[in-house]
Amino acid sequence: MQLVLKATLIMSGICAVLAVLLLIAERYLANYGTCTIRINAGEKALDVKGGRTLLQSLMDEGIFIPSACGGRGTCAYCKLKITEGGGEVVPTEAPLLTEEELADDVRLSCQVKVRNDLAVVIPEELFLVSEYRGIVERIRDLTHDIKELRIRLIEPETIPFEAGRYIQLETPAYGDNPEAVYRAYSLSSTPNDNRAIELIIRLVPEGICTTWVFTMLKEGDAVVFNGPYGEFGLTDTDREMIWIAGGSGLAPFWGMIRHMREQKIGRKCTFFFGALSKRDLFLTEELRTLEKEMPNFTYIPALSQPTPDDDWDGETGLITEVVDRHTGDLSETECYLCGSGGMIRAAAKMLEEKGAKKEMIFYDEFT
Amino acid sequence: MKHTPEMQRVIDRMRPGVLTLHGFLGADRRELEEILDVDDSTVAGLGVTHAELARLLQDVLEQAAAGLGTKVSVADRLRADYREVMGRIPCPWGDGSFQKGEVTLVDDETGETLRFSPLSIHMIAAHGFYDGRGSRFRVEPAALHRMLHTDRGPE
Repeated sequence: MQLVLKATLIMSGICAVLAVLLLIAERYLANYGTCTIRINAGEKALDVKGGRTLLQSLMDEGIFIPSACGGRGTCAYCKLKITEGGGEVVPTEAPLLTEEELADDVRLSCQVKVRNDLAVVIPEELFLVSEYRGIVERIRDLTHDIKELRIRLIEPETIPFEAGRYIQLETPAYGDNPEAVYRAYSLSSTPNDNRAIELIIRLVPEGICTTWVFTMLKEGDAVVFNGPYGEFGLTDTDREMIWIAGGSGLAPFWGMIRHMREQKIGRKCTFFFGALSKRDLFLTEELRTLEKEMPNFTYIPALSQPTPDDDWDGETGLITEVVDRHTGDLSETECYLCGSGGMIRAAAKMLEEKGAKKEMIFYDEFT
Repeated sequence: MKHTPEMQRVIDRMRPGVLTLHGFLGADRRELEEILDVDDSTVAGLGVTHAELARLLQDVLEQAAAGLGTKVSVADRLRADYREVMGRIPCPWGDGSFQKGEVTLVDDETGETLRFSPLSIHMIAAHGFYDGRGSRFRVEPAALHRMLHTDRGPE
């Protein structure tokens, strides 16, 4: 008995000593001091305290890199090219990087610790990204599983953006969700309405952010988001356009069409919107009204699985089939897509078969 | 139970709120290793491999994906739809990321239903993991085998 007690005491003592040594090591050995992050070949240099991740260090300096998972190394949005000082690729990021990216020194900025001076390449548009605080002004049900949020800005009071861009909405810790996470949503509002933003969000089963929006978020609640991000939006041409969307993919187009009306942009535009049945259609009356106000705008909703109760005499079939029926040669047409990855892949294939040029087919990378 | 550091990382990623709202283990109180062992025995007892079962689900996914959200017939009595959503989800084992979405496969006659995702297919093939009991994406190996590993399996 005495022997067991003695052994336990010795082991506990060793553990305590090791714990103290670890604390000392963390305090002194893992003190990386001040490190310099050189950005875009020295155009900008930041002196930061070493030891944090590159993503956190940049965020602390007001540079927001897209990240949906809160830096857990799971979403792979925060990729940056690190030309010097990135160290070895760590096991947590390797599965999320392609061979081309690895060869090109692309890394997940949330997995790279700043332990020494670094040189990174950051796309110019990310310098325009800021963090915003706002209040939920309105929540509106658009369908059984889609809601519209209107968020009035508090700080900063306005947001500059172009129609079609997206933001990342923060979901705070709640329930079983222990940490804040971010999810990307297209802006459905117009640049003119820059004291607020609007989002169209579809409920995702098991979705951390959408479950919070649908079950917990209320009008009057404070929210945080950052943005704007992306390149999706109208080009500066007069080319004819076709837009194709499904579900909450309608969001950027709702902002773009209202922007076109506000700015009196008269480009010819046909908007194909695919839904399963009538209950999945939304903003139909509003789009029909715009059709009357804008002679070059045509709205074509299509149902792929109408129910007998729908009493539907409009277009039916998969959205790709409907677009195919309504269009001819697309070699001079700009094509804009927003929706699920499967819809985008199928639509892009069909559009290319009809002559659309790859460089004139636009969609956001987060789809 | 003591886990290897690698297994502990996997378990941590399977917890609610890390990769998905409710995690991968559902209401299952068993250790991950036990869940894997039991399902492995079940699959061996069925005379098939995890890779074979995963391939059956992949066939269903591909047929359902072509329907762009509509229900498609994948075999006699079996209908499936695939609801794809934006974004990708990584595997808790850290060996890849997969399109978010879910396939619902229903036997019209019996009402038996399987729900799975592209990530489920990967985890079954690569890790022999079918989710814990009570998880939204739990695929019972025996049910999968009963519905798909027959003459009326996916065409």
